[in-house]
Amino acid sequence: MRRQEAIEDQALDWLIRRNAPDWTEDEQAELDAWLDESMAHKAAFWRADHLWQQADRIRSLGIEHDDRADEHGPRRRWWPAAIAASLVAAVGIGGLSVAPRFLDQPAPQVQQARFDTPIGGRRVVPLVDGSKVELNTQTVLRTAVGQSKREVWLDSGEAFFEVAHRDGEPFVVHAGRQTITVLGTKFSVRRDKDRVTVNVLEGRVRVDDGEGAMAHAAIITAGDTAISRGPSTLIAAKSEERVADALAWRDGMLSFDQAPLTEVVAEFNRYNRTRLVVTDAAAGRIPIGGSFQASSVDSFTRLLRDAYGLKIERDDTTVKISAP
Amino acid sequence: MVDDDELNAWFVREVLPLERALTSYIRRNWRVSEDVLELRQDIYEHSLIGARRALPLNARAYVFTIARNHLINNAKRARIVPIDTMADLDDIHHDIDMFEAERALTARDELRRAKEGIDKLPPKCREIILLQKIDGMTDREAAASLGVSVETVRRQIKLGMKALFDHMAGGSGRIVRKSYRRRADGEVLP
Repeated sequence: MRRQEAIEDQALDWLIRRNAPDWTEDEQAELDAWLDESMAHKAAFWRADHLWQQADRIRSLGIEHDDRADEHGPRRRWWPAAIAASLVAAVGIGGLSVAPRFLDQPAPQVQQARFDTPIGGRRVVPLVDGSKVELNTQTVLRTAVGQSKREVWLDSGEAFFEVAHRDGEPFVVHAGRQTITVLGTKFSVRRDKDRVTVNVLEGRVRVDDGEGAMAHAAIITAGDTAISRGPSTLIAAKSEERVADALAWRDGMLSFDQAPLTEVVAEFNRYNRTRLVVTDAAAGRIPIGGSFQASSVDSFTRLLRDAYGLKIERDDTTVKISAP
Repeated sequence: MVDDDELNAWFVREVLPLERALTSYIRRNWRVSEDVLELRQDIYEHSLIGARRALPLNARAYVFTIARNHLINNAKRARIVPIDTMADLDDIHHDIDMFEAERALTARDELRRAKEGIDKLPPKCREIILLQKIDGMTDREAAASLGVSVETVRRQIKLGMKALFDHMAGGSGRIVRKSYRRRADGEVLP
């Protein structure tokens, strides 16, 4: 049994004993000693004592012994009167107690929609709650956004979220087994098969992995990047620059800081129908830095040839890059 | 130093009426529902410890600040951080004005809740509680009247109290009996 639960248990035992008519002064001294042991004992006992006394007030409902005297007949004969009384009580405060409850209920109109972008496409989608989502290339996103519920599903690709702040009303992004929860901030989520990358530009987000007993959560703040693959999540040390690089696509750019060529090429391939292929490992390891226009494969390959002396061969659909 | 009678009176007058709001606050901000009652009692405990030095002027702000800090500390220890808790903090002070309205509501509401809570109890348990509350019987008298032992009466009263208090605080009011999961051979519990 947990600590507080055990204490409540003891408190109730004390209370029941104390309410009995054969309660003695010695017992009172014992109870006082128990109460003095810990403030938790007092909290539990005082609470139980008070609530139990409150329950006495049901006597004022006028439920009389006579109403249920017939041991064998229907014992609930007195209930209609009691129910009527409780209805009166309920109606009396109805105006006050019912109103807030409506606020908790999900609004009936939750707008559901699906958005996608082709290769190299980019699109800004305004949501009804005032948030904005910017879809990157090859992205599928579904939304269910209403007055009280804000949920989106990133089925594939990458999106940048500018979430409008709503008190106590989180905005939830589902990306595979990860769930990203925010209240109002700017961040991006990217899915590559089972890998989910979250970049935070402003504010903070919570990344939850999976469900049930194995679930765990991480909080990441502005400048952080969380990369999850299956059940493991890596949180990269704070770097506003890297986050800015990761979000360069919003301006149609790809930004790299000494990333290996294979990685850079993979990025270009997300945005273009022309496939870039690096044919040998040595060339693939060349570190690349700088900003490039995502849609301009030509200028990038020209740069590779001029700056690094790499060999470029192209046909209709692919560009092969190799060491000279 | 505030003496116990004064502290008890303050607790009953200022803190317990917040129980519904406090419980739902914890429930909103803590993902493990089994922890809620445990956390609430911790918060009461801390509230009383602090108030013993001097009774706080604004009980609501005081209790909810303690609640928030307690949740954050627990979250750190549990290595999960309930983000909503952080954000909610700023909201706490906004609805302090609701305090008066809430208290007025509570007095009228308590009777109804107590009644509803009793209605929900299992028949045997309800009968015993009614014998005590309506007929004013002692444990012994109730036991004699029903032809059962005093221990049985007390056990039922205890179950009834728990369910009733839970209901009055906005819970389900269900009687929770301990159940022990059968452990398979060689199974190791975490």
